[in-house]
Amino acid sequence: MLRRFLLIALLATANVTAADQQPGRLAFSATLESIKINARPDDVVTRQFRLTLEPNQPRTTFRVHVDDWWRTPDGAQSVYAAPGTLRHSCATWTSVNPVDATVSAGETMVVRVSVKVPHEITPSGFWCALTVDEVPDPMAQNAGVGVKFLASVSTGIFVYVGDVSRKASIVDLSADASNVRVRVRNDGNAPLGIDGRIEFYAAGTTVPAATVTLPRATVLTEPTVEGVMTAPLPSSIKLPSGRYRMRAILDFGTDHYIGAEREAVITRPVASAGRDR
Amino acid sequence: MKKLFVVAALMGGISLFGAQNANAQTTVTLPDSSLTTLFTATVSEQARVVVPGSVLFNVLNVGSSTAASAASVTVDQIVLSTATKQLKLSIQAAAASFTAPAGGGTTWSASDISWNNPAWTNATGSAGTLSSATYNTVSTCDQGTDNCSTTNLVFTLAAKPTVQRSGNHTLTVTWKVESIGA
Repeated sequence: MLRRFLLIALLATANVTAADQQPGRLAFSATLESIKINARPDDVVTRQFRLTLEPNQPRTTFRVHVDDWWRTPDGAQSVYAAPGTLRHSCATWTSVNPVDATVSAGETMVVRVSVKVPHEITPSGFWCALTVDEVPDPMAQNAGVGVKFLASVSTGIFVYVGDVSRKASIVDLSADASNVRVRVRNDGNAPLGIDGRIEFYAAGTTVPAATVTLPRATVLTEPTVEGVMTAPLPSSIKLPSGRYRMRAILDFGTDHYIGAEREAVITRPVASAGRDR
Repeated sequence: MKKLFVVAALMGGISLFGAQNANAQTTVTLPDSSLTTLFTATVSEQARVVVPGSVLFNVLNVGSSTAASAASVTVDQIVLSTATKQLKLSIQAAAASFTAPAGGGTTWSASDISWNNPAWTNATGSAGTLSSATYNTVSTCDQGTDNCSTTNLVFTLAAKPTVQRSGNHTLTVTWKVESIGA
């Protein structure tokens, strides 16, 4: 009886220990702030990126690099490419130090990011992505059929050289049964960070029946100048089926907003999806 | 306070409106700051990320698909510059196919791995299929949240009756944590 009790106690302890240690998981904290620089030709600007390994993590090696980056127009996928793929890439004039670093548990890796703006350059916005990749441990053994996961963190570098032009226009505004979309075109020469909201007005009213906040979007100047901002509609309790005047209001950091209006018939499913926000 | 008013005509059923510069100056009286000390904490955008280190498929029948144990993914301590920014988690295989055990032979492709769309806390998940060409989104944390997570992410390896070698078939996959925005 005592032996059985001890066995159960030992098994319980083993379970708790395994759960607490969560073997094989990678845990870290990182600064995720996009680096935004206003500069002139020949300027050299330095910033930092930090990554801290959690306690109880194995020593881990990271590799740092700078690539070209853009998003598909629907914003769903990011594309990373070799430096210089885009004409407005800053990857070829951005350097990092260190390029490789091994970090112990609880330690912080500090990466210096130096941007040296070329002498001959047309005033406009340039961008690239800073990426910190976990390097696989060559001594690690994988048993059986499986997947070894590595971690990678990417954040943006945006360099605005000289007097840039920030302009945007709304190309389309639409809604289906579950989502609302605004298609935006960048008419300037620099990447735009765009916030916005969409208000829904029932016929004859001046107070919106519902408002949807759009996730912040970045619209670049190449390879495409358009981007789509999408958000789920509120629940059908807040926004039932009907005819509405949709009003999109976008803020891209200049001294004025831009907007668009459209009448739309919104048909909600009987058991509405949609989220309360 | 920015202004917004209609200036444009209808275009394809959409009314567009913009605004002119809004210049307003107000004189305010500042308090005497000579006897005060201003403390400022500069907070960077940041997050803590916990992702699984590996997933094991216990393949007992190559003729059937094999699900791995549920994996946990957590992003917390999220601090961003605006409530409308979001963090995105996506994955991409480092190679088009698994590395077969010594002796080679047929093995699985990266695209033989798929994942479910479990219940996420403070995030919108997406079921998907692994690719070695692009990062495919697993989850996007909600706007304004300080954490998002799941404990029930299940990866499934498709059936591959042509596999003839037992042993270690391995593939490296990268989790991408992304916060890129102008």
